[in-house]
Amino acid sequence: MARSRASMSEKRVGYAVLGLLACLAVWLFAQQASFNPAVIVAMNHPKGAGRIVTGQQGAALSQTAGFLADLQGFPALSPVEGYTPESLSDKIDGKAELYLASNFQEMACRAFAAENAGNARVETFLYAMESPKDAFAVFSGQRRPGADQLPLAQNAYATENAIFLTKGRYYLEFVADHASPELRPALESLAQALLAALPEDTAQGAETDLFPAAGLRADSVRLAVSDALGMEGLENVYTAEYALAPGEASAFLAVRATPDEARAQADAYAHFLASNGFKELKPGEDLPASLAGARVLVLEDMLQVVMAKGRALAGVHDAANRKAALELAGQLAKSLEEKKP
Amino acid sequence: MTKDGGRIAPEIPAGLNRRDFLRRVAGASAVAAGACVLGLSLRDGTGPAALPEVKALPGLGDYALKDLASGSPRMAVVRGADRAAMFDLGVRALGGIEAFIKKGDRVLIKVNAAFASPAALGATTHPELLTAVASACVKAGASQVSVTDNPINNPESCFEITGLAGAARQTGARIVVPRAGLFTPATLPGARLIKDWPVLAGAFTGVTKLIALAPVKDHARAGASMLLKNMYGLLGGRRNVFHQDINGIISELALLTRPTLSILDGTVSMMSNGPTGGSLSDLKSTGTLVVTTDPVAGDAFGAGLLGRTLEDIPYIRLAQAAGAGTADFASLNPVYLDAGA
Repeated sequence: MARSRASMSEKRVGYAVLGLLACLAVWLFAQQASFNPAVIVAMNHPKGAGRIVTGQQGAALSQTAGFLADLQGFPALSPVEGYTPESLSDKIDGKAELYLASNFQEMACRAFAAENAGNARVETFLYAMESPKDAFAVFSGQRRPGADQLPLAQNAYATENAIFLTKGRYYLEFVADHASPELRPALESLAQALLAALPEDTAQGAETDLFPAAGLRADSVRLAVSDALGMEGLENVYTAEYALAPGEASAFLAVRATPDEARAQADAYAHFLASNGFKELKPGEDLPASLAGARVLVLEDMLQVVMAKGRALAGVHDAANRKAALELAGQLAKSLEEKKP
Repeated sequence: MTKDGGRIAPEIPAGLNRRDFLRRVAGASAVAAGACVLGLSLRDGTGPAALPEVKALPGLGDYALKDLASGSPRMAVVRGADRAAMFDLGVRALGGIEAFIKKGDRVLIKVNAAFASPAALGATTHPELLTAVASACVKAGASQVSVTDNPINNPESCFEITGLAGAARQTGARIVVPRAGLFTPATLPGARLIKDWPVLAGAFTGVTKLIALAPVKDHARAGASMLLKNMYGLLGGRRNVFHQDINGIISELALLTRPTLSILDGTVSMMSNGPTGGSLSDLKSTGTLVVTTDPVAGDAFGAGLLGRTLEDIPYIRLAQAAGAGTADFASLNPVYLDAGA
């Protein structure tokens, strides 16, 4: 027997009902998705926000935990803990902001015993950042002045009880619970064991190589990822300190995607200084020829030099005196002319 | 209407006869009945059990003494290196521990146990200070001395590795480790942030006196971590959301509870890379212990130990404005003492 066909009006009613049901389903999903998280927060105390990631499963889940699974010669004193951007502050509280601003991805930590150093407890932190530049930013942002530079890695130094270094996009800390004469070699061995396990380094530092070498304090190069030099929105600017014959001075440097971008940011920084009371000297006003094209701004005894050379935004932002500022600016201009970023 | 004025009969699909009609009605009825049966089978006649009604607390209590003689010193600043001797001298200058702790008092000591970090690194309350304070309370006749903090991550490890658990055991004090059942929502009257937020109320059950012990530290987010910031450890939940308004939350925490006595330990201060530190080079011997009845005044004094001003640490003035104490520590008639090296 032939089946009867539904009329147009029946179809319309059917489609309307189905549409209504679909809308209802979407509304239900939307309501559930926007469930007030404060209710969950109020009723559930977090049970250890950091994941314990010891074991094969944990290592597979984490890009850093696996490296701390076994460091030959150093007995583990605790399980491996893992932290994400959401949970990092549970481990390091307010310092998490420094890492989060520098594209932090993940951190694993574990305590090891340094048996050759009075059984010192060495807390080992391995931070995975997005790029070597980010790792350098957190390394340089916490640099301890006067620390001993180490040849372990491109960026490495030691204090009485700790070693801090980077390898590629990883930032590493080895922190012992006390200092002793035997500690340094033990920490270096532990660091070498972990460094050997990490992927090979990729080239880093091309930008910092643009700083002139004469008078540069090797441990003074820093990278500010945001709000550099006190200017909101100015990002990824390296700074370096110099000891020159006329006095101390500090340079800044950033390589941008295009010369136009570098020039625009140089103008913006000069404008920022002007809005804070600096007055720009007229071109040629008592300035060396090497600084042709640079802008020099003064406020009482403070002098700043701002320039754009190719894709580089650079200058001098702090100096003991005018002579030191101009000498460093001249060196910087020359270096940029030669290396042509 | 038809051309001849007659009415149009409803269009009946070709081939729809009585049998088809009945079949369709039966099918639709079966679907409807099936839906009803499915709904009934999924029906939970009792529904989820009602949660016990938890009334938000207005705070954790005011334990400050109200009957202090006017004109008597309410702050003692003691120079030295021996925390026990410094505390002893300082509390004696304020009338002795007996002026604060009476026989039968149940004392809660709020320490900073935020990190699983050894005492030598200065990131947490020093166990020597806890030993001195807890022993003094026992000696004064306290019927119970408890020690608490909510470090979120692995509280047991934090208390053990900092040495605070050992200090508590040595003096007979009990450690109150945070667990879900100890948290109750609190809503501070007039507060902007602490609304229905879980706080460590269970640790305060039966408590008659509260003593706060905090180290002097740099803090990347807040500028400094001292007595007021120490109260952050009374919050539960995903409290890192408050980092976006760190000054606001600390000034509200100053009203969450009022300690009987506050002790700020600047024997060694963490001058940089706080609040975790990590290197002994982050620390400086500042040789000062502050014993006071006013944590706002204690922090105002402590800012100087870090080489900072009240402008650098905005929450101190905010706490004063909220009525939690005074930043004018000179108004507490402080006594300055020397406990020797």
